[in-house]
Amino acid sequence: MRWLRYAIGLLIALTLHSLLDSFFPNALAFFNPYVILVVYYAMGGNIFGAIIAGVIAGLVQDAFSSSMFGLHAFSLTVCAYIVAYINSRLSLRGTFAFGACLAGAVVVNELVIYILVNILLRQRIEMFEQGLLVKTIFTLMFGMFVYQLLALFLREETVEATRFS
Amino acid sequence: MAVSAEVIPRRPTLLFIVVLSLLFILMSLSSKTRILGETRTLFERTVMTIFSPVPKAVNWVGGTTSDMFHGYLDMRRSVNENLDLHRKVAALTTENLKLRQSATEMRRLRGLLGYSEQFNLQTSMAQAIMLDTSGRFKSIIIDRGSSDGIEVNDAVVNANGLIGRVVLTTKDMAKIQLITDSNAAVGALVERTRRQGVIRGDGAGAAEMNDVPSLADIVPGDRVLTAGIDGIYPKGIPIGVVVKADKGSNLFKDIIVKPSVDVGSIEEVIIIHTRKIPDNVVRYTP
Repeated sequence: MRWLRYAIGLLIALTLHSLLDSFFPNALAFFNPYVILVVYYAMGGNIFGAIIAGVIAGLVQDAFSSSMFGLHAFSLTVCAYIVAYINSRLSLRGTFAFGACLAGAVVVNELVIYILVNILLRQRIEMFEQGLLVKTIFTLMFGMFVYQLLALFLREETVEATRFS
Repeated sequence: MAVSAEVIPRRPTLLFIVVLSLLFILMSLSSKTRILGETRTLFERTVMTIFSPVPKAVNWVGGTTSDMFHGYLDMRRSVNENLDLHRKVAALTTENLKLRQSATEMRRLRGLLGYSEQFNLQTSMAQAIMLDTSGRFKSIIIDRGSSDGIEVNDAVVNANGLIGRVVLTTKDMAKIQLITDSNAAVGALVERTRRQGVIRGDGAGAAEMNDVPSLADIVPGDRVLTAGIDGIYPKGIPIGVVVKADKGSNLFKDIIVKPSVDVGSIEEVIIIHTRKIPDNVVRYTP
């Protein structure tokens, strides 16, 4: 069920991506729907699933972006792993927990991209700090909104995560 | 098979490291192909192909929605434009009617002007401002009076023929007695035979020609003109056409003349300032 949700979420994220690209070019510089999807999935605490979800979402984002292929897949996989790992330990639940994870994931995602671009392309991302701040705020706002909607209309599944004591 | 808790955490981490390594290789490969000019790797193209229906559908929906929205806007604009054009057509039609009316009026006035130039007498033009043809006494009021040189007994005509004579003047208006008035009398002659008689209004829109002997050669269709013998009307102005010429019960014919001027549609008139015969000459008897 969670994978079905993920698949639908991925399609919605891609749709948003396409819509924003068509009507508001550069809007994705301020907002990343794929991070929301990955964090939402990784909040389940399943590290295996989260890694796969991160890779797929990242590859889809890469395929329809002009960046290096694999860049977003790499960064989203890192985010997914961290969020899923933390959740497998702490079992975070609720809107605020999701918000905190999302904000952290956005920051990590951007930092990873920044580092990889520096290493592989030897380029500096202009106005990185400002971009990071704006992206974090907008993605957080949208993500919290989506999370509230999901909490309203969907029953939260039991944690699939592998629990370790 | 039971897996110990010590092993499980290592597996995702291992997978994580393997995946990151593969992705790093993929990125390196991608950055190299970009430098070589091949912008997309096979793997990248495959992912794109799998997910391409989504952006296509989004573009289709977006494009269709945009087309519909613009179509709606165009339609709204067209409706407004149509209304504007309707208003313009109405305004232009009104203007066209006015221009046609002006052109007709101009032609009529030119006709009147040309007609007035036929007379060697001084003429004036005036506009009928009031028309009373309903009663037995047929008259019209014109917008010129004594201040314009109009005098009692001046003849009044238009391009179609004789209308009547001035019977009353004020400073800026004059009253015209029509030839169809029952008290009007005009010295007349039949154009074809030059037979003379007197035209009198019948008070009902037509006129009778009296004092024509029963043996006179007058038939329906004969044109009747002013004879110029009454001291008021100049000679040769069309009065009307004979519509009935019967042998009367006495010595004279019963002749009905239809006036050439439609008294119901008089607009502009020409006033002919006829030369008046002094009273002493009229009354002189040798």
